[in-house]
Amino acid sequence: MSVIQTENISKRFGDFSALKDINITVDEGELFGLCGPNGAGKTTLLRILTGQLVPSEGHASVLGTDPVKEPIGVKSIMGIVPEVESPPSYLTAYEFLYFVSKVRKIEASEGKIRKWMDFFDLTENEGVVCRDLSKGNRQKLMLAGAFMHEPRVLFLDEPLINLDPLYQRKVKDYLSGYVKKGGTIFMCTHLLEMAEKICSSVAIISGGSIIVREGIDRLLGEFGSLENAFISLVGERGSR
Amino acid sequence: MMEFTRLFLREEFRMHTYYTNPRMFLAFPFIVCMFSFGVALTSDRILADTTLDEVMLLLHVSVFLYGLSVGAFGFMGREYVERQHGRRKYLVASPLTLPISFRKTFLGMYLRDVIFYVLLLLLPATLGLLFSVPFSGFRWTSIVLLFLAALVSFLIGISLSFFASVVYIRNHAAFIGVTVLIVGLFVAQVGFDAIPLAFLLPGLAMQHSLPPYSYALTSELVLSALGGVALIAIFVAAAYALIPTRFSPVSPKTETRDLPRMFEKLAFAKQYRHLLAKELVDLRRSGTITKMFFSFVTPLLFLSFTAWFVRTGLAIPVGFNTVFYGAMVGFFGVILYSWLNNVDIMEYFETLPVPPTKVIKTKIMAFLMLTSWISLIFLLGISFLNDDMSLLWLAIPVMFVVSIYMVVMTAYLTGLRTNTFLFDANILVKFTAMSMLPDVCLVIISFTIDRSLFFASLGILVVCSVLILATLILYRGIDDKWKRAEFTD
Repeated sequence: MSVIQTENISKRFGDFSALKDINITVDEGELFGLCGPNGAGKTTLLRILTGQLVPSEGHASVLGTDPVKEPIGVKSIMGIVPEVESPPSYLTAYEFLYFVSKVRKIEASEGKIRKWMDFFDLTENEGVVCRDLSKGNRQKLMLAGAFMHEPRVLFLDEPLINLDPLYQRKVKDYLSGYVKKGGTIFMCTHLLEMAEKICSSVAIISGGSIIVREGIDRLLGEFGSLENAFISLVGERGSR
Repeated sequence: MMEFTRLFLREEFRMHTYYTNPRMFLAFPFIVCMFSFGVALTSDRILADTTLDEVMLLLHVSVFLYGLSVGAFGFMGREYVERQHGRRKYLVASPLTLPISFRKTFLGMYLRDVIFYVLLLLLPATLGLLFSVPFSGFRWTSIVLLFLAALVSFLIGISLSFFASVVYIRNHAAFIGVTVLIVGLFVAQVGFDAIPLAFLLPGLAMQHSLPPYSYALTSELVLSALGGVALIAIFVAAAYALIPTRFSPVSPKTETRDLPRMFEKLAFAKQYRHLLAKELVDLRRSGTITKMFFSFVTPLLFLSFTAWFVRTGLAIPVGFNTVFYGAMVGFFGVILYSWLNNVDIMEYFETLPVPPTKVIKTKIMAFLMLTSWISLIFLLGISFLNDDMSLLWLAIPVMFVVSIYMVVMTAYLTGLRTNTFLFDANILVKFTAMSMLPDVCLVIISFTIDRSLFFASLGILVVCSVLILATLILYRGIDDKWKRAEFTD
């Protein structure tokens, strides 16, 4: 069953074409990685699928919900970790999760807040206001906020970038377990080694167009590593 | 430094025009110019009721206060340096990564805003007066000198604010000392006439050394001008010297679980409960509530002082009754709505199922909760002092109706970016028309209460009914207008 579907999605900002005719399908239980050079359109596509941006053309659906027509509805059924870790400056770590639980109407929220505070080892900092937390702790908080309501689909933009190796491993393990239980993940990343290890399928986007979309095994079979695939496909395109 | 200031100016321009049409932004000075042209054309009428002395006093005090309100570069700079998350980064924070000092970037901010506000307000207003010369009979030399004198008052205000805010980031107690000293000097002048006003506002003293007060270029003019320049130089030099060389992180601020407690108290807010609770916690912790309090109370006190001065000091029998104050109090609420949109970045809302319209409506609720009691206390106090409590039954509803209308209208026109959109000429014209018309109507009707309370009340009832209807329409309109607004900064 496909969880995420796009049909000819394009996005223009004035004269600049950020996305051109994107057609992607992500199935249930898939950990899909979207890789590409800087400014290729990864975050733009993620923002369209999560109801944050309206495409110039095309249609999208996430779990049967149209993010253009129902931007709030679509956010209710997914977890989102944005590119920039920016929890509200003046709430404490605990209060941010409490706030998320109220917005998302999470039942028995206290136990879930406690669970994720413990998972990310934030208990010691639970009273610290977010603006005074380290970058890594703010990232952990954004991840906890996205995982807390146990959504069926997660949209993650560079989820590991500010985390130390210990927590990178911990989050990777959680994500692998999550997809095994039937969850679906759409992840934008530059960390090719990590994508190679945990993603079940990968697409490479360059200049606003998808240049390859394959299962990870097939890509590895052809190029040896995701890095080789990226360099030869994106480099080839760049030299054209 | 010139190149650096140019970069700062470009940054400021792009910041203001990011969400609006640059042409509309550039039309703002044109509107200011037209406004001052209009004032010049009607100056005969103004000067028939008010003396030149009063006009000059009002002008210089207003320009000084304006400078004071925009020049807190110490606070602003520190905020930009420390707010290193979110998408926006500002030039003032460049010393964090580049071999340049905070002194230089803070001074760049100061120079940027001086140029920005002179080009945006003072110069267009002066041009408006100059264009009126063939019709008003003003002499162009007087207008140029008026510009120079007003510039001195503005620069003293902005420089003093720069200095005081830098003192604040160094030492809070010293800041309180400086504030008490400045307020003391003004109280000594206004209350006891212990200091010549010219010492506090050399720009005004310059004005008094010029025609029509004096026809000879006396040493007084030179002394006042030099005094003004010296004051500006002292404030800027002191601020420059006190700017820290680095901003060390302070120890992390910890707080107790206020949000759940606040949430429990706000059951009446229903679907807005959690957003309102967060808004109120944010306001308190960010210190915005104090800034809001002062930026609301200061114009109220200024209004009371002006009314008192006109009635008692100048013995002009203008009927500033309680209903007049009710209408004016509602008008000032706009300043507070603008503050509510500047508490924090809102990017995290993009990840949550929260529509922007709900956040806008929460801010309106927060506004009403925060201001209603101040407005009411002010109205009760001023009516008691003026021995005019018999009109409270009419003034209180007027105050609430105008307050709610003003904030809903501002929210409808500017959404979550009041500061940015009010510099868009198109929106500014709509805002001016929608705020001035009802307020002028109410003020004029309030002046007729002495003649016929019945007819005045009837007039007020009609205006308030129209405002209530407009409020309902605009409130519903927020949903359509802002449903697609972005939270991303």
